[in-house]
Amino acid sequence: MHIEHIEPFIEATVGLFRNMLSMEVEYLTPYLLNRESHHEWEVSGIIGIAGDAKGVVVISFSSNLAAMLTSKLVHRQVEPDDPDVVDAVGELVNIIAGNAKKGLEQYRLSISLPSIVSGLDHRISWQSEVPIVGIPFKVAGGSFHLSVGLENVIVR
Amino acid sequence: MTVLVVDDSRIMRNIVKNALSQHPRFTNSVCLEAPDGASAFRVIESNKVDLVLLDWNMPMMNGLELVKKLRAKSEYAKLHIIMITSEAAKYNVIEAVKAGVTDYMIKPVSDRSLLEKLDRYIV
Repeated sequence: MHIEHIEPFIEATVGLFRNMLSMEVEYLTPYLLNRESHHEWEVSGIIGIAGDAKGVVVISFSSNLAAMLTSKLVHRQVEPDDPDVVDAVGELVNIIAGNAKKGLEQYRLSISLPSIVSGLDHRISWQSEVPIVGIPFKVAGGSFHLSVGLENVIVR
Repeated sequence: MTVLVVDDSRIMRNIVKNALSQHPRFTNSVCLEAPDGASAFRVIESNKVDLVLLDWNMPMMNGLELVKKLRAKSEYAKLHIIMITSEAAKYNVIEAVKAGVTDYMIKPVSDRSLLEKLDRYIV
């Protein structure tokens, strides 16, 4: 893996939580994601990347953590089934993907509108040839996960 | 003055509106909102809008397309448009400036930085 291509996504995530949510996050060692493995996440925000490289960025949360982060953004107590959770998760992944482009300016990239998938152990179908890098994050109130795949940019 | 906040995220529209409401010169102003570029264009055509705070990535018509559509009309040549977007690459900033945005801010934006920026445009 070329770690320099992962760093923009990590930096964007750290910056997002610090500047938008006033929270510090800690990230663990990135790893190559096994596409078949099950997971514990209940809501994911997905952004497609196109241009010089095709790929995807996914941020995944437990529904409780997603609701807690949404509560901080909207300044009221939000339950996991509140529609603002979908809005918030979409905006978070949008900012991570858009900000990460700054660290990948050697590639001309465009990002899609975010999509949200929810449900325990929901499945995300990845492009088969693209290695997906998983980055676990810890934050006060729980943990979350970032997955990044970029064809011909992030390689084994 | 009338400010139009355009973003497909209701949360982001509210964050921007809250920041606007904190500005001391905004007290007698009107804040309109739209969830995409196409709706925003209709709002601009039917209201006298003085300042547009505009997201880039939106459904129907994105922010860049809206800027180009507005700048193609002489009546909107001097309309202040601040793009507030996650798009942080230099080539995006250049593309937006070439299309005619007045100013550019990269999300996430703090209330303080937004208020400082708005200070130049709220009269």
